[in-house]
Amino acid sequence: MGGLEFSKLAGFISLLVVFLPFLSFVFIIFGKKKGGENLALFNISLAFILSLSLVYLNWNKAPLHYQLNWFFIGEIEFKAGILLNNLSLLMISLVSGISVLVHIYSRSYMKNDSNIHRYWAYLGLFCFSMLGLSISDNLLLIYLFWELVGFSSYLLIGFWFTKRAASQAAKKAFIMNRIGDIGFLVGIMIIYGQFHTLDIDALFGENGLIISSIIKDNFWVYGTQQIPEIWLTLAGIGFFIGAMAKSAQFPLHTWLPDAMEGPTSVSSLIHAATMVAAGVFLIARVYPIFDPLVLNIMVFIGSFTAFMAATIALTQNDIKRILAYSTISQLGFMVMAMGIGAYTESIFHLTTHAFFKCLLFLAAGSVIHQLHHYRDKLGLDFDYQDIRMMGGLRKSMPLTFIGMCLASAALIGLPFTSGYLSKDAIIISAFEWAETKNGLAQILPYLMVITSWLTVVYICRLLFKVFFAKSKLLTVNQIEEIKDPPKNMSYVLVVLAFFCLFFVFSLHPFSFENSWLWNAFPSSLIQKNDLFHWLIPLVLSFGTVVLSVLSYLLYVKRNNIFKSEQNILYRFSKREWYLNEIYSYVFTSSLEKTSKFSYWFDQKVIDALVLKSASFVRFISSISVLIDKYLIDGLVNAMGSLAKGIGRLAQNFQTGKLQQYLATMLLLVITFFILIYFL
Amino acid sequence: MLSLLIFLPLIAALLILILPNRVQNQFKYITLGVSLIQFVLSLFIYLKFNSSAINAGVNKESQFQLVEKLSWIRLDLGTIGNLEIDYFLGIDGLSMPFLILSALVTFVATLASWEIKTKLKAYFSLFLLLNTAVIGVFCALDFFLFYIFYELMLLPLYFLIGIWGGIKREYAAIKFFLYTLFGSVFMLLVIIGLYFSVSDPITGNHTFNMILMMDPANYADGSIFSALANQNLFGMSARLLAFIVLFIAFAIKVPIVPLHTWLPDAHVEAPTAVSIILAGLLLKVGGYGIIRICYSIFPDAALQSAWWIGLIGVISILYGALNALAQTDLKRLIAYSSVSHMGFVLLGIASSTTEGISGAMLQMISHGALSAMLFFLVGMIYERVHDREIANFRGLAEIMPQFTAFVIIAFFASLGLPGFSAFMAEAFSLIGAFNSEQVNGLLPRWMAVLGSVGILLGAAYFLWTLQRMFFGQIQLKGGEDWLVKLKDVNMREKIALVPLVILTLALGIFPSLLFDKMNASILAFVQLILG
Repeated sequence: MGGLEFSKLAGFISLLVVFLPFLSFVFIIFGKKKGGENLALFNISLAFILSLSLVYLNWNKAPLHYQLNWFFIGEIEFKAGILLNNLSLLMISLVSGISVLVHIYSRSYMKNDSNIHRYWAYLGLFCFSMLGLSISDNLLLIYLFWELVGFSSYLLIGFWFTKRAASQAAKKAFIMNRIGDIGFLVGIMIIYGQFHTLDIDALFGENGLIISSIIKDNFWVYGTQQIPEIWLTLAGIGFFIGAMAKSAQFPLHTWLPDAMEGPTSVSSLIHAATMVAAGVFLIARVYPIFDPLVLNIMVFIGSFTAFMAATIALTQNDIKRILAYSTISQLGFMVMAMGIGAYTESIFHLTTHAFFKCLLFLAAGSVIHQLHHYRDKLGLDFDYQDIRMMGGLRKSMPLTFIGMCLASAALIGLPFTSGYLSKDAIIISAFEWAETKNGLAQILPYLMVITSWLTVVYICRLLFKVFFAKSKLLTVNQIEEIKDPPKNMSYVLVVLAFFCLFFVFSLHPFSFENSWLWNAFPSSLIQKNDLFHWLIPLVLSFGTVVLSVLSYLLYVKRNNIFKSEQNILYRFSKREWYLNEIYSYVFTSSLEKTSKFSYWFDQKVIDALVLKSASFVRFISSISVLIDKYLIDGLVNAMGSLAKGIGRLAQNFQTGKLQQYLATMLLLVITFFILIYFL
Repeated sequence: MLSLLIFLPLIAALLILILPNRVQNQFKYITLGVSLIQFVLSLFIYLKFNSSAINAGVNKESQFQLVEKLSWIRLDLGTIGNLEIDYFLGIDGLSMPFLILSALVTFVATLASWEIKTKLKAYFSLFLLLNTAVIGVFCALDFFLFYIFYELMLLPLYFLIGIWGGIKREYAAIKFFLYTLFGSVFMLLVIIGLYFSVSDPITGNHTFNMILMMDPANYADGSIFSALANQNLFGMSARLLAFIVLFIAFAIKVPIVPLHTWLPDAHVEAPTAVSIILAGLLLKVGGYGIIRICYSIFPDAALQSAWWIGLIGVISILYGALNALAQTDLKRLIAYSSVSHMGFVLLGIASSTTEGISGAMLQMISHGALSAMLFFLVGMIYERVHDREIANFRGLAEIMPQFTAFVIIAFFASLGLPGFSAFMAEAFSLIGAFNSEQVNGLLPRWMAVLGSVGILLGAAYFLWTLQRMFFGQIQLKGGEDWLVKLKDVNMREKIALVPLVILTLALGIFPSLLFDKMNASILAFVQLILG
C-alpha cells in the first residue's frame, strides 16, 4: 500500500486524532493497569488540540480527501480514506472536546472503582471509533466504525457487569442497534449494486453519482445500471433505520433509557452528546439519497419521537431516565429538522445539544455522586437516583445548581442561551415548511410547539424537585451536609455552562442566522417568512414563563402534582407507553417461541425422519434376512438335502462287492441294447 | 512440496505406531511438531504464491502452481481402453488458503488434544492420518485421488469420535459415518460416469483429471455427461442429476438444512480436538468441493440450480440461528451457529458474483478459525468441570477474566463485528447475493435482505449466552468445588488462541491479505461458470 501518499499535513494530523485514543486503549488493555487515567487524558487532550488545529486549517475551505488502497474484490477497488469537510471537522472537535471534559470529570467520578483501568480503555476505544466514524470517507468504513461505536457502548453500558440490569441493558442496546445496522447494510448493498463504489465524496458530493442518476419509467438509472425505483426509497429507508437505532428514534428507542445503567459519565458522553448524534450525522452524510417519501417518513418519526419522549419524561422519577427521554426528544427534533430540509438547523441543534445535555448529565451525576457518598456515610439505603429523595439541594450544591439551571434554560430555549438559537431555528423552519404543505403536515409545527412546552414542564419538574422541594427522606440539616462535588467535576461543569450561552455560537443573541456555525453549512431551500422569525420565539418564550411558574406552583408548593397517580394518562406516561411490554410480548417471546419450535422441528421432524429412514432400512434388511434365512437358504438347504438324498441313494450301490457291480453293469448293458434294438 | 505437506503427517503417524508405548507422552509433541512444520511450509507457499492472472488456475492446467503429476495406475482394459489414474496435485487461489487454514487448525487441535489421556498411540496416529487426508483433498486435482482422500477422512473420524467421544459417542459416530457415506456412494457413480464421458485430448484415454472435466470439448460425443448430447436419466437432464448428486454429497458436509442433523450430535459427542477439526476443516471440504467440483464441472447445471442453492443458503442461515437460540448446551449452540454461518458460504457461491464468491471463500477461512476458537473455548470449560450447560454457570467474568476476554472476542467476531474477518465475509456474501439480480439474474434481492436478518439473530444468541454465563453475580452449579477448578487461561491455551485471534483480526482489517491471492482465480472461476 502506498502509505507515502499521506504526505499532507492535515491527513497525518487527522490520522493522529483518530489513533491517539486507540493507543490508550491498546496500552491500557495490554500494559500496566496503573496510570491509565493519565495516559487516556493525555491522548484525548492531544487529539482535541489537533482537531482544533485541523479546524483552524480547513474550516470553510474546500473539503480535503485522502485515500489509500484498501483491497480489491475482483476488479473493483475499495479505498479507505479521510474526508475532512465542515461536518467532519465539527464532529471531531465536538467529540474530542466533550471527551476531554468527561475524562477529567471521570477521574473523580469513577475513583475507587476496582476495574477502573478497563473504564479508561473502553473510553479510548469509544473515542477512537467515534472519531473514525466522523472522518471516514466511505460507507463501508463508516459502517465499520458505526458498529465499533456500538460495541464500545456495549462494553461501557455493561461496565458494572455483575449488575444483572446493566448486562441486560448492554445486550438490549447492542441488539436494537443491530436492527439498525441491518438497515444500514441493506442501504450499502443497494448503493454498491447501483454504483460499484461506496465513496462518500463520489456518491454524495456536488455533482456526485446520486445527483447525476435519474428516475426514468419507474427505474432508478445511472449510466447502464438500472434498478426499480423502489430500491432508491428502500436505500433511504435502510440508512434511516440505521440512524433511527443509533439516535434512539421511535420505535427503536427503548434501549437508550435502559442504557442509563452505565456510569453517568458514560451516559453523558455517549448517550447524550456524541454517539446518539451519530444517527443524525449519518443522515447528514448521505443526505442526497433520501427521496421525498423517506424525508416525510423522517418528519413523521422525528416529530412523533420528540413528542412521545417528552410525555414520558414528564412522569419519570429516576433523574437519569428523565434526561434520557429528554435526549430522545431532542434527537427527534433534529431528525424532524433533517426531514423538512432544515439540514443546517439540525446540525446546529446537534452541536448546542451536545453541550447542554452533557452538562445536564454531568450535573445530575454530581448530585448522584454526592448523594451516593452521603448515603454510604450514613449507612442508609435509598435510591440515590430518585428525584423524590432529593430536594432543597440548591443551597448545599450551588455550583451544580447554577450549571443545571443554565443547561435547562438552554434545553428549554430561553433567550440568551445556545438552545434558543438552535431550537427556535428548527421550529421556525417547521412553520415555514408547513406553509408549503397541505393537510396533516399543517399540524407539525404546532406539535413541535407543544413538545417544546412539555420540555419546559419536565425539566422544571426535575429542577424544582431536586433543588427546591423538600426531600421525602432527608432532613434539612442532612441536606446541608451534602456539598458540591470535588474540583475535577466542578470545573467541568463550569466549562460546559459557558458553552450553553449564546455568544459561543452567535454574537447576536436573537438571530441564529448570524451564527458562524449556521453559516458554515448550506442554508435550506425553505421559503423564508419573516413574520415567524420574531413571532414564534415570542410565543414560545411567553409559554415558557407561564409554564415554569405553573410548574413551580405544582411541584414545589403543592408537592403532589396529580390528584390521582392512577390517572390513565399518568400511568401511560409512567410506563413509557407500555412499549417495553409490547416489544417483549411481540418480539422477544415470539422469537423465543419460534426458536423453541424450530428446535422441536429439528429434533422431532428432520432428525426423526433421518432416524426413521435408518430404521426403515433396518426393517428392509431384517426382511431380507428372513428371506435369506428361510427362502434362499431354505432352497439352498433343499438342494443340499436333495443332493444328499441322491448321494445316499448312490451310496447304496457302492457296496464294494465285485459280483454286484458286474451284475449291475451287465444289467445296464443289456437294458441299453434292448432299448436300442428292440424299440 | 505438496506431497511433503500431505505425507509428512502420515510418516509421523507411522513413526508413532513404531515407537514403544513407553514414550507415549511424547506423541503429542511429535504431532505438534508436524503441524508446526506444516504451518511454516504453508506460510512459505502463501508468500511464494503467484497471484497474477496468468496463474489463476481453476480450469487451466498450465496455470496451477506447485503441480505434481505422476502417472499412477495404468491398466489396459481391452476394449474399454486404458485405465488412467494420475497422482495429480496442484493449487490455485481457490485451494491455497485452505492449506494455511488446515495447518493452523491442526495446530490448535493438537493443543486441544492434551486432554486425551487414553490410547494415545492410536489417537495420535489416527489424528495424523486425518490430517493427511484433509490436506490431500485440498490439493488433489485427479478426481479419483480426490475421492480416495475424501473417503480416507471418514475412517479416522469415525474412530476418533467413536472411541474418545462422550456418552453417546457410538450413536454419533455411526450417524456421522452413514450420513457422509450416503453422499459419497452416489458420488462414486458420477465419478465413473464422468470418467467414461471425458477423454484426455492428448492420449485419447478416458481420464479422471478434474481440469479436463471442466472443458466441454473433452466430452465424447453422445456420452452421458456431454453438454451437447444433453442426455436424460430418469426423466431429467443427466448433467443436472449428476450436479445434484455431487451437490448433496458435499452439502452434507457443509452442512445444509435439512441434511445437517449429524452435525450437532457429532460435535457434542466428539472430543474437543475432533470438534475443532470437524468444524474448522471438514465443513470447508464441503464448500470447497462445491466450488471446485460441482460448480466447475457442471456450470450449466449450477446456474440452473442457483435459485435453489441460494434459498437453501438463506434457510440454513436463519434456521441454524433460530436453533442456536434454543440451545441450552454451549457446544450444541456453537454447532448450530456453524450451520448458520456456513449458510453464508452457500448464498455467496449461489450468487456467482465476484463479491459473493470472495465473501464465501473468506467466510470459510474465517469460520474455520473462529469455530476452532469457539470449540477450543468450550473445551476449556468442559475440561475443567465436565459440564457445559449454559444455565449451570453465571458470573464467569469475575472468576476467569482472561478467558472471558477471549470469549468476548470470539463471540463478537462470530456475530460479525467489523474489524474481524467474519464481518467482511458475511457482508460480501450478502452484497454479492444482492447484486446477483442485476449482474446475472440468478438470485432475487430479497434473499440477501433475508440473509442479513441472520446477522441480527447471531447477535441475539451470542449476547444472550454472554449475559447468562459470564455476567451477573457468580453462581455455579458445582459451588466451591468448581470455583477452585475454574482456573483462568494457561500458557498452552493462550498459544492456541492467540494465533486465531490474530488471523481473524488481520483478515478483518486487511482482507487484501486473502483477496489479493484469490482475486485472479475468482475472476477466472466466475468466467468459467457464467461462460
